[in-house]
Amino acid sequence: MTPETAFQTLLGAPLAAAAISALFFRRSRWGAPVLSLAAAGTILWVSLQLLLGWDGHEALHTSYTWFKLGDLEFKLGFLLDKTAAPMLFTVSFVAFFIHVFSIGYMDDDSARGRFFAGLSIFMFSIVGIVLADNLFMTFVFWELVGFSSYMLIAHYFDKDYAAAASKKAFITNRVGDLGFLLGILWCWSHYGTVDFQVLENAKLAGSGVPAAIGLLLMCGFIGKSAQFPLHVWLTDAMAGPTPVSALIHAATMVAAGVYLMVKLSVCGLFAPVALDVMLWSGAGLAALGGLCALGQTDIKKSLAYSTLSHLGFMGAAVGLGRPEIALLHMSMHAFFKATLFLCSGSVIHACHHEQDMTRMGGLLKKMPVTAAAFAISGLSICAFPYFAGWYSKDMILTAALVNGNYGAFALLAIAALGTALYIGRMFRLVFLGNANSDEAGHAHESNAWMTIPLVVLGIVFSLGAGWFLSGTHAAEGARMNGLFPASATEFLAHGYHELHHTAAEKGLVLPMLALGVIILVVGLGATLSFYKKTPGDDALRVKSPKLYAALERRWFDNAYDWYIANVQQRVAEFYAFFVDKFLLEGLTIRAIFAGIPAVGGILVRRFLFTGRMSDYAAFFVFGVILYFLYSVVL
Amino acid sequence: MNSLLLPLAIFVPLIAGTILLAGRCVPTALAKGLAAFAFLFPAVSGILLWYGFDASATADGFNYVTTLPVGIKDLGIALTLGLNGLSAPLFAMAGIVGVAAGIQALSTEVEQPNRYLGLLLFMLSGLLGLFASMDAAFFYFFHEFAFLPTFILMLRWGGHGRYATAVFMAVFLTLGAMISLAGIIYLYNTTGATSFNILKLKEAAATLDATSQSSIFGFLLFGLGTLVSLFPFHSWAPEGYAVAPTPVSMLHAGVLKKFGLFGLIQIGAFILPEGLKAWAPWMLWLGLGNIVLLGLVTMVQRDLKLLVSWSSVAHMGACFLGIAAFASGKVTGLGGVAVMMFAHGLSVALLFVLTQAVFKRTGTFVMADMGGLATKAPVLAALFVAATMASVGLPGFANFWGELTIFASLAHLVKSQPWVLVAALTGIIISAIYGLRAAAAVFFGPESETVKAAPARDIAFGERLAAGVLLVALVAVGFVPSLVTKPVDAALEKFKTAAPAAIVEPAVTAANAE
Repeated sequence: MTPETAFQTLLGAPLAAAAISALFFRRSRWGAPVLSLAAAGTILWVSLQLLLGWDGHEALHTSYTWFKLGDLEFKLGFLLDKTAAPMLFTVSFVAFFIHVFSIGYMDDDSARGRFFAGLSIFMFSIVGIVLADNLFMTFVFWELVGFSSYMLIAHYFDKDYAAAASKKAFITNRVGDLGFLLGILWCWSHYGTVDFQVLENAKLAGSGVPAAIGLLLMCGFIGKSAQFPLHVWLTDAMAGPTPVSALIHAATMVAAGVYLMVKLSVCGLFAPVALDVMLWSGAGLAALGGLCALGQTDIKKSLAYSTLSHLGFMGAAVGLGRPEIALLHMSMHAFFKATLFLCSGSVIHACHHEQDMTRMGGLLKKMPVTAAAFAISGLSICAFPYFAGWYSKDMILTAALVNGNYGAFALLAIAALGTALYIGRMFRLVFLGNANSDEAGHAHESNAWMTIPLVVLGIVFSLGAGWFLSGTHAAEGARMNGLFPASATEFLAHGYHELHHTAAEKGLVLPMLALGVIILVVGLGATLSFYKKTPGDDALRVKSPKLYAALERRWFDNAYDWYIANVQQRVAEFYAFFVDKFLLEGLTIRAIFAGIPAVGGILVRRFLFTGRMSDYAAFFVFGVILYFLYSVVL
Repeated sequence: MNSLLLPLAIFVPLIAGTILLAGRCVPTALAKGLAAFAFLFPAVSGILLWYGFDASATADGFNYVTTLPVGIKDLGIALTLGLNGLSAPLFAMAGIVGVAAGIQALSTEVEQPNRYLGLLLFMLSGLLGLFASMDAAFFYFFHEFAFLPTFILMLRWGGHGRYATAVFMAVFLTLGAMISLAGIIYLYNTTGATSFNILKLKEAAATLDATSQSSIFGFLLFGLGTLVSLFPFHSWAPEGYAVAPTPVSMLHAGVLKKFGLFGLIQIGAFILPEGLKAWAPWMLWLGLGNIVLLGLVTMVQRDLKLLVSWSSVAHMGACFLGIAAFASGKVTGLGGVAVMMFAHGLSVALLFVLTQAVFKRTGTFVMADMGGLATKAPVLAALFVAATMASVGLPGFANFWGELTIFASLAHLVKSQPWVLVAALTGIIISAIYGLRAAAAVFFGPESETVKAAPARDIAFGERLAAGVLLVALVAVGFVPSLVTKPVDAALEKFKTAAPAAIVEPAVTAANAE
């Protein structure tokens, strides 16, 4: 298969699946799921073919002119390079197993056609983002993932909260896109190109890149990856079905923002100021999100805060000038966070759509596979040594220390402690103790559609996805490196080993390992015992209601709601009804118009505006005859 | 053959309309059949002509040129029909919206259907004529020819408050049209041209000084601007569309309104580049008025049909920005306007079809009374969301390319006037706010009382067909934008190479003489 055919198949298969499902399989029970799964399988297979057949050095690139208008030539180009390769593998691999899981999870849903068509549109869009070779094209697919996210959040559209959440997600993303598009236009006008390869070869870093370009492009990341201050939509987005939360709102789409930042960082488009902003907002959100996860009893919302926190980690890594580590964390995160969400989905499905963790409990024995997958991916997210998450998360903390950014290091350490706290709490509330409701009491393990993805993503990949970093290098010419295609590991391994080397020189490797273990033991130990005491309720809510309420409270959502109701809406109404309707139309225009008939209009009204249809028709015919006589005779 | 197709496309609806209006006793079935043919014929010919268009075939870029023996020879007025790269896609768009409006009209029960259909066909014929006319006087004539039936249709078949609204609109638009006619005559007189043919006018105007160009352009801007509902001359539009019967709103907001923009490009920007430069800042600021201020007005609408009408007015702002960008030499801007005109014509017509379909089921346009309609009418909901997404400029629909290329043509302002660009881009947020609010208010959430009482009927065949035609065209251009941009770009190239040629030529001869 030539790369060109591969690229076309990668985009064509999901688009065709979505279109066929939407047009013909709307009511069919199996049509859409099978097609959608086939499309995801095709994507995985083609991606593997592509990655295994590629040496990982010379980028694969094809480009067509989509259209041309004046000096704007719009290219449709596909680029598989060192950053796209790990992203493509992660996305296609995780997505395939989430598709498998969805078939089990959505078995009792009457709108499967719409759901699976939406998943396929999403796959089309995300593959487009991964392979885009220029920023305009990224923007096209960027908007499309926004749409698929909207469509899937609104899956249970007859619920008010789903309707509101879908709207909120789309509009908040559009706010970020305003800045993003402005940044793209600025870049285009300043450098005359938006092509990633051209920008990268121009070696812009250090040559006085305008800070505004980087900051504006960052807005896209802030919107899509739910970073402060546009983070408000992500927790609401949990209104969508759980596989959607796993795939889109945890593993891939929200991480696409990070991927873009990595790409732009490699292109050198960020001035130091922009990097600092990203570092501090990322580290701050990482710490805050980690703590807020303790103030939610809804299992999915708690995990959503965890996602916020980890996206903050990735942002901080880019800000520290370590895009490789950011991408590494993005990839590891995709495996263990997808698993955590799928576990929550498995639990929710077993408990008949109960999402409140305080009403669960004791599921360890009833759902052993789910519990095992949760435990392993939980340890992975807490950076248990040699688990996938450890390789990346530990390195982000190390990077902060190596760079001498102690403030950021402190924030990230708090975030790491937060992770251990909320994972310990979650495991305690859901899987240990006794069942706190009938639903939890009658729960049983999910079927194979759901447990197989849990085993693959949770037990295999959450554990071992990072192992390719432990060996020094894959054997020359090897096609696989650990669990990854070798070509997809070049960029990640290079950045990892470089940082590891620096840390070793400074003697930081062992102290960091020790610190990580301490955080892990303290965090997990504290929560496992703390949350044991109050079965059926949240221990923190019982012990310190004020602290819990402060964590639970949606400070920014409330502020935005206030702004929309009291500022935006009122300004709009004032303008619409007073300025436009009353002053402009009422006093000015109608007054002028009233004057015209007042002067000469009485005659007109008498003879022309008679109000009789026949008269108007007669005038019209008369005019036409007159005209034709005139033109033909002359 | 093809040069015959162009006049036929215009005259078939005219003749059919005359038969329907004259022959009251034509049996309904026969009348409907005739009307269906007359609605379909221009769409098919429009697409054939668009498909067969080849800008490189002629020096001036016009294809299918025919002159009919109609006009006033002494004044140099002749009915010359022809399509260039700009008008070919728009002519086809008029045909496509026409056939959708026709389907909508044919599937609606009205009083005196023969007259109703006849007048609509008259309107359609005028709309097609104005895009095909190479003669500025006939260009104006066709506008009036399309507007008269619009007025009568509103008066006779319109909704609540039709008399006041129709008269208000008629006065407003006649005034706008007269000012633009004055501009055209002014141009004709000042240049001493002997013909109203736009190519001849362009030749004659080449020597015109900047001051005269600017004063003529002023007439065109405010005259034609009124017809496009340029801020602050927009008051007539929203209520006008809201009151009119749906096929009329489709043709008026979708096609007739484009007359002003089309004129501003073909006569304004192409013939009077210096005039455009003088007025470009005005167009920029007034266009932003449409996007931001009228966007805010759209946001507070409570009536679905009014909301669609206002959104159509607000979206026109981007077109003025694109034309203004052309003053700084950015041909991308004009191209973007052409794409936007094409896309907006289809998408607003689509929204009107679907809004009417919602009304048929709920009996109301008040959004607060609706909610949860998607359960009963899932296909209608899907189409409405698609139409909303098209109108908020989602990639995959033609509108996205229009907006993006217009924004790209303004990119050079990013350092000198960044706030202009920021204000222009707020449009993408504002339109998302009102578009998604409307979709959610009508279709999502639990079923309201009104919706519970509504019959459980999804979208009917006629509505589905009308919406389908429009949606297919929007998606086709959304995926293959070169369908529109290729001829448009060719037209712009012709313009670019034609303009300096007049200046460069003498220099070359002088060099040879040495």
